[in-house]
Amino acid sequence: MRHSVLICALSAIVLSISASTFAQEGGTSTDTAAAAKRAGKGLNPDTGVNFLGLYRKSVQGNDSAAPNPNGFSFQEAELQFSADVDPYLRAVGLFSIGEVESSAPNGPHDHEFGLEPEEVYLESISLPSVTLKLGKFKAAFGRHNILHTHAFPFLDAPLINDSLLGEEGLNDLGASASFLVPAPWFVELTAQGMAANSETLYASTNPNHLAGVAQLKNLWDLSDDTTLELNLFGTTGKNRFDGDSNAYGTDLTLKWRPSVGGKYRSISWTTEYLNGYVGGDFGEETPAFGPRLGGIASWVQFQFAQRWWLQARAEILGLPQAEDLDSTKRQSVLLGFFPSEFSGFRLQYNRLTQPELPTDHAVALQWNISIGAHPAHLY
Amino acid sequence: MKTLNINILPYSMFAIAIASVAMSNDAVAKLNVLATTTDLGAITREVGGDFLSVDVVAKGTQDPHFVEAKPSFMLKANKADLLIAVGLDLEIGWLPSILRGARNPKINPGSPGYLEIGPTAEPLDAAKGNLTRAEGDVHPLGNPHVTLDPIRVGNIAVTLARRLGELDSTNASTYLERARAFKKRLEEKTRAWQARIDKSGVKKIVTYHKTLTYFFSRFKIQNVAILEPKPGIPPTSGHIIQVIGIIKEQKVPLVLVENFFDPAVTRKILQEVPGVRSHTVPVSIEGEPEIKTFDDLYENLTATIEGSHK
Repeated sequence: MRHSVLICALSAIVLSISASTFAQEGGTSTDTAAAAKRAGKGLNPDTGVNFLGLYRKSVQGNDSAAPNPNGFSFQEAELQFSADVDPYLRAVGLFSIGEVESSAPNGPHDHEFGLEPEEVYLESISLPSVTLKLGKFKAAFGRHNILHTHAFPFLDAPLINDSLLGEEGLNDLGASASFLVPAPWFVELTAQGMAANSETLYASTNPNHLAGVAQLKNLWDLSDDTTLELNLFGTTGKNRFDGDSNAYGTDLTLKWRPSVGGKYRSISWTTEYLNGYVGGDFGEETPAFGPRLGGIASWVQFQFAQRWWLQARAEILGLPQAEDLDSTKRQSVLLGFFPSEFSGFRLQYNRLTQPELPTDHAVALQWNISIGAHPAHLY
Repeated sequence: MKTLNINILPYSMFAIAIASVAMSNDAVAKLNVLATTTDLGAITREVGGDFLSVDVVAKGTQDPHFVEAKPSFMLKANKADLLIAVGLDLEIGWLPSILRGARNPKINPGSPGYLEIGPTAEPLDAAKGNLTRAEGDVHPLGNPHVTLDPIRVGNIAVTLARRLGELDSTNASTYLERARAFKKRLEEKTRAWQARIDKSGVKKIVTYHKTLTYFFSRFKIQNVAILEPKPGIPPTSGHIIQVIGIIKEQKVPLVLVENFFDPAVTRKILQEVPGVRSHTVPVSIEGEPEIKTFDDLYENLTATIEGSHK
């Protein structure tokens, strides 16, 4: 109840501030070029469909009850819609179709699919230096959390993201304000208030429980060809044990794409560290991890031809190491071929070392296809 | 109390100094213009001279279809009074991200601070009927490389001057005068370039991508084949063999590779067709260090076609 009141209040602020901004600019002449484009496109939302399929082979996947069994699988399909609502707001709807836990008696052998709103939000487009957002969205919690499955640098999310934030990541209903700080380099400060429902870290069913998220994003142009990005972020809120959960992290990305010949080669190196804590009285229940879990993932993406990428990733889950338990480690190598901006085929090898389990070797081929509106790429 | 008085004095002086600096800045404030390409940046400088502060996103050496939406561009867009873009979907993969990150309602599409010049420049190759991406990376609204025609560039300068005049009425007549002078200069030079190209006898050229469509249309040259089998798709050996066939059959004297593409593919053509010339050419301002103005850009293309290029 409390957070629905908060959302309504923020919604009113978005509308009133943006309305006043528009009023100041009222009576502006409509740009003929934009009008021509609109005429070409119509007023329908930009619509896109993205789907991901997999063929997987691993030692652990020989067991058909394994979480990632061998063979063909439908990884996910995403339906995307976006459009300006009016002069003040833009709306985005992103729905994911994927396999859900089966309710049939045969359990995981029966394939059942569900449609879920992955992100459905509105955001301000007429406010200077700030973007207000309202709805269900991926929290500004590091570099990987904001990515949709089709934009993951590898076929799977880093182990620490999956373990700490769950398969869906930190993604819930809430409100967000993101400020562009006037500074000589790019500084963005984001503050978000969200329902504390996200699995694993909070998983609260109490509607009064809210989680706060904050992120400071910095990006420096080291040269025309090279950038360095540093993000610091954290979240805190009440969990399902009526205790406090919190998590924090940092990520660093170095990107190089030359101004001459950048169509054919580039390198990006990202390292992300996350650490989370679940507190409270667990009673008979067991938290998904805990009470503390940390992990690091570092990956390099090397584009060696117009349509080819070679990538490598190393991860440690359990940093610092959990008591009496070795850390889980994973190394991955990926070869990607992208016939066009709209299709990609990626072959990935994973070597997974888990405590008290034999080392697993897995190979998977993914096809990643987009149809519909041309996407605007994030940096 | 005495201490307080001593402390107030420097603060007051500082505040007055800041206020006076702010007022003097207002008095000479220049319009900030962000152009998506170096060509648009050059037109803006021709029209605006010292009255404007101009920044550019894509470098002249980059393929303008594929530019990364670096947050540093968002910072520049946040301070812009006018954003000038080509449109026709040239910047569709990166400009929306820059605009969203900029959080500057002054340059939102539809605002006076947003100008797409492509649709105003009589675009060629606009799609008729339904399109499919099986045809490659197509532009349904027309070929976006409009700034490779000097006559269109002159007209674009006048369109831009009018918009600048709306945003800065004090200098409106100056913008228009400068744009008209620029347009006249290009018209005169176009006649000279046309005479030289006619004299060269080059009527057919092969290019890597359909970048030079407007230049060829203006100077009556046929773009008889493209090295890309389809827009955005790199050349395949099978397609190159077909292009070699066209070059031989139609006696094409020249292959031009826009300098953000890899010219290695032309080696086979040069081996197979004796006498054919191949050149890598800049197709944007600052595509090479010495290409600083439109005069340099078109002069270089003309010289390359007539074979007098160093």
